[in-house]
Amino acid sequence: MSGPKRRRKRNYGTIYTLPLVVWFTLFFLVPLLIIVLFSFLAADIDGGVLPRFSIAAFTGLAKPRILKLFVNTIWVSLASTAITILMALPCAYFMARSKNKTMLLILVIIPFWTNFIIRIFAWKSILEANGVINSVLMGIGLVASPLQLEHNWAAVILINVYTYLTYAILPLFSTIEKFDFTLLEAAQDLGATKMQAITKVLLPNVRSGIVTAVFFTFIPLLGSFVVQQLIGTKDMYMLGNEINDNIYKYFDWPTAYALAVALMMLANVGLVFVMMSERKQARTLGARRVDEAAA
Amino acid sequence: MKGATIGISGITKSFGDFQALKGVSLDIRKGEFFSLLGPSGCGKTTLLRIIGGFEEPSSGRVEIDGEDILPLPPNMRHANTVFQNYALFPHLTVYENVAFPLRLKSIKRKSLDELVMYYLRLVELDGHAAKRPSMLSGGQKQRVAIARALINEPSVLLLDEPLSALDAKLRHHMLMELDQIHDKVGITFVYVTHDQSEALSVSDRIAVMDRGNVLQVGTPREIYESPSTTFVAQFIGETNIIDGTIESSGGRWFVVDAGGMGRVKVTDPRGYRVGDRVTLTVRPEKLRITPLGMAATEDSNSFVGTVDESVYSGFLSKYYVRLESGAVMRVFRQHGDQGEGEGLGWDDRVCVSWNPRDTFIVEGARG
Amino acid sequence: MSRKRRSASKAVFIGCMVFLFVPLAVLIFFSFNENKAPIFTQFSLVWYRKLFTESSSLWTAFFRSITIALAASATATVIGTLAAIGVHWHRFPLKTYVQAITYIPLVLPEIIIGMSLLAFFAGIRMPVFGHSLAIGIPMTLGWLTIFIAHATFCLPFAYMMVLARLDEFDSSIIEAARDLGATEVQTLLRVIIPVSKPGIISGFLTSLTLSLEDFTITYFVSGVSSTMPMVVYSQMYKGGVSPVINALSSIMILGTVVLAFLARRWLKYIAASS
Repeated sequence: MSGPKRRRKRNYGTIYTLPLVVWFTLFFLVPLLIIVLFSFLAADIDGGVLPRFSIAAFTGLAKPRILKLFVNTIWVSLASTAITILMALPCAYFMARSKNKTMLLILVIIPFWTNFIIRIFAWKSILEANGVINSVLMGIGLVASPLQLEHNWAAVILINVYTYLTYAILPLFSTIEKFDFTLLEAAQDLGATKMQAITKVLLPNVRSGIVTAVFFTFIPLLGSFVVQQLIGTKDMYMLGNEINDNIYKYFDWPTAYALAVALMMLANVGLVFVMMSERKQARTLGARRVDEAAA
Repeated sequence: MKGATIGISGITKSFGDFQALKGVSLDIRKGEFFSLLGPSGCGKTTLLRIIGGFEEPSSGRVEIDGEDILPLPPNMRHANTVFQNYALFPHLTVYENVAFPLRLKSIKRKSLDELVMYYLRLVELDGHAAKRPSMLSGGQKQRVAIARALINEPSVLLLDEPLSALDAKLRHHMLMELDQIHDKVGITFVYVTHDQSEALSVSDRIAVMDRGNVLQVGTPREIYESPSTTFVAQFIGETNIIDGTIESSGGRWFVVDAGGMGRVKVTDPRGYRVGDRVTLTVRPEKLRITPLGMAATEDSNSFVGTVDESVYSGFLSKYYVRLESGAVMRVFRQHGDQGEGEGLGWDDRVCVSWNPRDTFIVEGARG
Repeated sequence: MSRKRRSASKAVFIGCMVFLFVPLAVLIFFSFNENKAPIFTQFSLVWYRKLFTESSSLWTAFFRSITIALAASATATVIGTLAAIGVHWHRFPLKTYVQAITYIPLVLPEIIIGMSLLAFFAGIRMPVFGHSLAIGIPMTLGWLTIFIAHATFCLPFAYMMVLARLDEFDSSIIEAARDLGATEVQTLLRVIIPVSKPGIISGFLTSLTLSLEDFTITYFVSGVSSTMPMVVYSQMYKGGVSPVINALSSIMILGTVVLAFLARRWLKYIAASS
């Protein structure tokens, strides 16, 4: 019966999404593929790549020095993420239970609007040899000569935590805000201590927020390089620094892009790990439910 | 234009493997309050959405006043919809929600205001014009949706389970109001519902649907008192179902052999003949229940049984009587009826009887 | 019941706020210092005077940053809003692709996006089936490439925030608008966009935040075009940051505080959809 008169509905979905599809394919997907392409090419002498297939960039990664970079990247990212989340959780909990949520939210967001590099600069003026802390300590005569507060792991991790604290608080806040706090009372009524109520009732229920917070913190940290460069030392360099050096110092683009491929794989391993623990969690919960039903 | 006829012929609609409509044909008359009644998943909402223009049928034809409307987008059809969840625009006031269709056209401010206020008065919401939908109760939201759908002066109003989100008392009240609005505006209403009592109380005619088919079309009385299928009989209120074979004809009735239960008299064979297998239905309130020993009249169906259970529910009592064959008959007896059955209870031996005119053949197979 | 617990969380919260604000306070504090070294000697407005009289290149960089942030956020918001509307209310062949591709950047380190665009804009020529083709689009790194990069990484956020808002409504209000006589364009302008306004505004604000905050991606695509963070980075890299930067940063912090209070209605949506 569909005669020629029948009006075909125009597909507005395609029309609406077309700008995004074009923009994102061109400026995101294609560049992403170029990363992989460049990693398999030979280096041009002054940066860039030559149109010649080569796996030299990847074989060149099998060096103890690069392995150390991987180790640094993973442990610094993990440690910074763990501390960030541990600080962000009580913050978000307090904010979610506060009567003045909007006000507290503004407080958390304001530092976020100052550029990353300017905040690092602020920290540098606090930590450096003639910086705020040393001036104060020497001023009150607690120490005779300035302490070495920058150029160490603690300083790098401190600034990492500082940078990503807001990224972690926001998703945690929004999930904890939706949590039904009477469940905590119910848990305590059923005999749980306050701590048990938090760990066994609150945390499992705000899992999605924790996962998002971990993502927002851990994944960008994997590629960080500025903090180590400005506050750390060469010993603290991570994959991001090696990428940066290969592009701007050694002009070895294929190696930089091979490292980028490795970095993406690392991010994906993290991703798969989180998703697997998520599924395991779901499975144990499911199993427990079956047990309860059987009992 | 006041009211329109709707002609629906051979409408089918598939969603993937699922056939939502299997060739539906209906003729809805001008100015009629027409209900599509059926359980969820029967295809009634899909049919309404096809008339409204939100779904395209796989095949078939829909005409409003003789004009094929399927090629037209929803905004070109003289039919407006009252959505189940009201679908009010949250960013607009009550007034602006109702004015929305007029704002789309260039209508003079003064006549716009007159029209909006007229329809707000019609639904008794003229005092709430400045409120946002979020500040209204369910019933008020429903009225805004109705006023908004009427302001375009459509010839057909499509109502998709408009009362399902309201509580029982409010539902009844809104139903009566809908009836009054229908009388006032005089256009064709197509009303989708799964609630048989809603459909029975306001409709001019009802189409009972199940699994993508229309089973019966008729006035509420026809649908209730002479259902054409077992499904219709069971869906519209409670009923008793008896299976049997037509044994003999002659005189004032046909006799159906209902196996162990015995013989049941029927007046209208509905075209079935001796030897055909048939299913009979009789409504519980048509049955009389009397203590055993009281004489049953010659021209009635009467059976002996034991009261299995009796339930008191306000204005009536329900009895479940186990006949000697083991079949259970439901009997409803309204209080205030004089005499018989008063004080009957569990395990009492009783006689259940009814007039053969109240027995209907709902299904059958040639034997 | 959780009074004690909450006092513990309150202590952590206050500690975190001190942690977050101390560096900003230090920035502001030293902007009023007469001396150049980070040792406070005497109150002075000398750096503010220098900022307003002899820092035209810094102001250029500053306004370039602001302009890029506004333009990139506006672009991301428009494209993201349209896409969210398309994905939410329509079924179409590319839907899965859109949903997948907008998710990927959220699970990639920023450096990847920066260096991938660096390679893209290099537009290195390669022989492909006998033709010499540019891999990517050769562009001189500058404000335009920064704009493209910022709009790109803001896009998924703008898109997801509008989508989150649209999820609060079902399609019946669109059907109602169409039913009542609105054309597709009228429906878009009179219903969809007004209804998604909170999502659109918070999408824009989030984009603005991310763009102003970003350094890593800008670093790879800025070339010689200096934005405010690039100026600070190169000064830090060389070892000496002029306190004029403190003065400008202090003004910016003040500006963001004012802006945050003006926009407080929308800020809660930022958290809600993250």
